[in-house]
Amino acid sequence: MIDIRNLSRRRFLELGGAAGVSIGLSQAGLTGVARAAAPLPAVAEEDAVIAFGYVGPTSDEGWTWTHEQGRQAVAAAFPKAKSIFVENIPYSADASRTFRQFVEEGAHMVITNSNYGDFLYDVAKNAPETAFLHCDDRTMMDNLGVFYPSHWYPSYITGVAAGVMSKNNKLGYIASFPVPTSFTGSNAFLMGARSVKPDATLQVIVINSWFDPQASTQAARALIDNGADVLFGIMDEPGYLQVAEQRGAKAVMLNTDTRRFGPKAYVSSIMFDFRKFYVDQVRARLEGKWTPGQHLLPLADGTDRDAWGETVPTEAAKAADAAREKILGGWSPFEGEIKNSKGEVKVAAGQRMSEGDIYNWNWSIDGVSGL
Amino acid sequence: MDLIAGLIQTAILAGGVLALAALGEVLAERAGVVNLGVEGLMALGAITGIAAVVAVPSPMLGFALALLVGLAVGMVFATATVIVRANQILCGLALTLMGTGVAAMIGKAYSGIPAPATFPPIAIPLLSELPLVGRALFTQNILVYLIYLVLPFCIHHLLFRTRHGLDLRAVGENPAAADAAGIPVRRIRFWYVSVGAAFAAGAGAYLTLAFVPSWSEGVVAGRGWIAVALVIFAGYRPWTAVMAALLFGLITSLGFVGQARNWPIAAPVLSMLPYLGTIALMIVPVLAWQKVRRLMAAPAALGEPYFRDVR
Repeated sequence: MIDIRNLSRRRFLELGGAAGVSIGLSQAGLTGVARAAAPLPAVAEEDAVIAFGYVGPTSDEGWTWTHEQGRQAVAAAFPKAKSIFVENIPYSADASRTFRQFVEEGAHMVITNSNYGDFLYDVAKNAPETAFLHCDDRTMMDNLGVFYPSHWYPSYITGVAAGVMSKNNKLGYIASFPVPTSFTGSNAFLMGARSVKPDATLQVIVINSWFDPQASTQAARALIDNGADVLFGIMDEPGYLQVAEQRGAKAVMLNTDTRRFGPKAYVSSIMFDFRKFYVDQVRARLEGKWTPGQHLLPLADGTDRDAWGETVPTEAAKAADAAREKILGGWSPFEGEIKNSKGEVKVAAGQRMSEGDIYNWNWSIDGVSGL
Repeated sequence: MDLIAGLIQTAILAGGVLALAALGEVLAERAGVVNLGVEGLMALGAITGIAAVVAVPSPMLGFALALLVGLAVGMVFATATVIVRANQILCGLALTLMGTGVAAMIGKAYSGIPAPATFPPIAIPLLSELPLVGRALFTQNILVYLIYLVLPFCIHHLLFRTRHGLDLRAVGENPAAADAAGIPVRRIRFWYVSVGAAFAAGAGAYLTLAFVPSWSEGVVAGRGWIAVALVIFAGYRPWTAVMAALLFGLITSLGFVGQARNWPIAAPVLSMLPYLGTIALMIVPVLAWQKVRRLMAAPAALGEPYFRDVR
């Protein structure tokens, strides 16, 4: 079943848009590429209205929940400011209506996930006094900035652990749609695994949803039947973790700590934390220093691996954490030579992929099949 | 080899949902009532099952409660279609809309939470150690054995080997004649429609307690409609319905295996397989098996409310 709510969250369009936008992103280490716009005027805390728009329910223990933690951090840091939020904003004209309502309620800043595209741009264009922050997008305006966690680093790190733990050298990945997030996640995971098991391969199953327990569990069964013994995916629910638990396989998860649903299978999770970023952005807005930027939240400051699961052997944890330290020290695993799944060299030896290139990745590396 | 065993195992597990719902529909339709509310009943059963095990971690209790909810809703449906004699098609559609809507509303609080307790697989000694198919066939949960072996046997025996079954079929074929022969038409219709509805809700609970196992909106995903189609394809016979359900389970699991094995077919096409299969199964028999059409025919009075005084 395709769930409309989730269908376009990180849309197909990214694929097409990726090439064009990457021009704007190609500076290395681009946390915060500023636009040449004058900052919006300062706002007193007691007058401030900060609005949050969510794609899902705050009770989802996943994507929206992590954003809600960010909102609560903002409310705690600026207790006199008013913070409002709306959940389950659909991808329809209703989204524009919701954002417009934020503006009418006097919001000085609107923070929203993810990928509302024109539904948001139309409102932002007509509300130049309101600052907008848009998750997982590539379009910026004078009052519209974008942000996303650089999930590829923890994906690589957990991939190293998966490589050590895999006995069959076969990994499985449950993808939502063929969008950059899926390519980046699966590629980074396999690159991590290949750093310890050079002949490891990764099989992808696309289920056409971000949230569909029945498809993700069936996909997990098929992957395990096919020999995969460590699973990873981009799902908002822990279905494949349960399958792994039943079948004696391992699983790396996304968003939050879900180990209670499969304590023996749980390896780790790609965790997101928007609290500090949100507080910083709101502070800049209130102080009159906010300008739109492209923010890819770095490793250990917005995204990281979760504490290792109980069955993760020490050597796997050690190898993965060594890679983590190296990345924190400035090393990048995304360096050539990198071939695509057809065997063509896409990144030459010695060349390093920019953060923007990784963010907009739209091809599979050698060893990944099914995407 | 693991792949084939896995395929069979998933097929049996996936087919069980359809088999149980289809068996319920066989009972209702043999008595002459079309229940198009299966989809809604399955949604209600699915959410009842998950809500029950979240409160008390006993899958048996969850399943039993789902059966009860199905029975209760089925009695409302039977009151409307058998006692009041409203249009069966419209009542069924209303039940589907109502069931999916109510389940989605209650389900908001349970969305994505895995069932805290599920039906565990039971390995049958000796048989489960058979090479190749042993694990797939004989390491299943208790509902699977019930749905594939016990229930079709019982229902087949009831329908075709007992006097009561003859009465039941007579009610579906010619209620006026049955009435004249002293068979309580309304009572038989009422109870078999209700029990059939309980089966459908049970199938929903099977979905969330043994197959997925968690609730999400749209988890039934058209399986109720597929079950209705299967009953027609199976010629209203319990064993055939179960086998057809198994075939469907196989088609469903093929979709994921196809992706895992990198078959050169687009993923969306593979996800379409069960629905394409439904269409194929509806068309092929009509074209290919002209001669057995009489055997596959629907009960003559199917869908017709029975009014004694307008005979």
